[in-house]
Amino acid sequence: MSLLNSKSRQILKDPLMQDNPITLQVLGICSALAVTVKMDTAIVMSIAVIFVLTMSNTVVSIFRNMIPSRVRIIFALLVISSLVTLTDQYLKAYMYDMSKQLNVFLALIITNCIVLGRAEAFAMKEGPWRSFLDGLGNALGYGIILVAVSAFREFFGSGSLMGYQIISQEMYASGYQDNGLIAFPPGAFIILGLIIWVQRTIGKIEEE
Amino acid sequence: MQSNAYTLIFTSITTIILGFLLSFVSTSLKETQEINEEIDIMKNILYSLEFSEKDGSWTEEEVKKIFDSSVIQKVVSVDGEVIENLTPSEIPTDKIETQLPLYIKIVNNSIDGYAIPISGKGLWSTLYGYFALENDGSTVKGIRFYKHGETPGLGGEVEKDWFTNNFVGKRITDMNGRLVSIQSIKGQVDTSSPNAYHQVDGISGATMTTKGLNEFLMNDLKKYDSFFQKVRTESKG
Repeated sequence: MSLLNSKSRQILKDPLMQDNPITLQVLGICSALAVTVKMDTAIVMSIAVIFVLTMSNTVVSIFRNMIPSRVRIIFALLVISSLVTLTDQYLKAYMYDMSKQLNVFLALIITNCIVLGRAEAFAMKEGPWRSFLDGLGNALGYGIILVAVSAFREFFGSGSLMGYQIISQEMYASGYQDNGLIAFPPGAFIILGLIIWVQRTIGKIEEE
Repeated sequence: MQSNAYTLIFTSITTIILGFLLSFVSTSLKETQEINEEIDIMKNILYSLEFSEKDGSWTEEEVKKIFDSSVIQKVVSVDGEVIENLTPSEIPTDKIETQLPLYIKIVNNSIDGYAIPISGKGLWSTLYGYFALENDGSTVKGIRFYKHGETPGLGGEVEKDWFTNNFVGKRITDMNGRLVSIQSIKGQVDTSSPNAYHQVDGISGATMTTKGLNEFLMNDLKKYDSFFQKVRTESKG
């Protein structure tokens, strides 16, 4: 018996490309614009979302038959906000500079539509293992786009990747300039738009 | 549909468990977080005094080492007298308005600059930072903010280099040695104006934050004015 049967594999794989939460469902745009100036913040943000989303999906799924249906959204929010607070506290203790850079956006994972959306649409109906995979898949789908956007923005906006200078001083001396627009939020919009365009063209995804 | 009693009990138990978990984590991490904050404050004092990180970023030990070896911590009164045998952390809470912390940068056994804490209301939050002057007591050496809750991208820009770098080299006093502080103005500074020495470019979309900054910077500098007047007279004579 393989670890992942075809259904599970589909749950994990679909959100990466076919049904990506950012580019196809267009959720979680706020943080995708805010924390993608540099790659390292985007990576930490993605890891935080992976933790929160897989955990919240799993927890909600475990308790899905016990949760009173009238307060299910409140319960999901309670779990999500506790997980986000945990992550926030952890970063403050062990990655202080990073937590200062992410400032409010880390706390804003609570309001990220992807997290609550998956809890409500998937984890309330499916078992813990599938919900875990669904959370992992969606968070990875979110992370891939975040890292891609941030790689573009850091390279064209500040000439570096992961903080290492890629574009040499000679290039700057001979007149090369960083693109300031890309470093600002509108730049993220443009890049995100381009990624969505390319992905839909390659994947032959039609607007229904 | 579950009964009201079940719903109530279920939510109460969840809240209690999660609340307990969060407070446990928060208390157990508190100490590490406080150390981080202290180091961060030290770092910002150093930045405002124009210490720069040579390769990569400072480790905790490096920050402490530089701070201990090149920064002297003093307390001055509002009358401009240095209070001996007192460090900033020992200022009694009821004398916070009259006994003021002062951080002195020492280079080759002589004074290179002074840093003072500044804080005050912006739009949403209280901003905290450090403001440093050259040893002439009038020229700005640097300004840094280490804590605020202003809107990222708007008021939050106060912590960015493009804004803080504008302060360097400006003067807080006019020709007669009177305190005028630094004003962050709307738009760009007209360099031909005689006031350009006391002005920096503002932040668009952050009128209230910069207005607050102008006010509390002036207030904080006023408290230290007797001390810096002495520094100015000494550096001239």
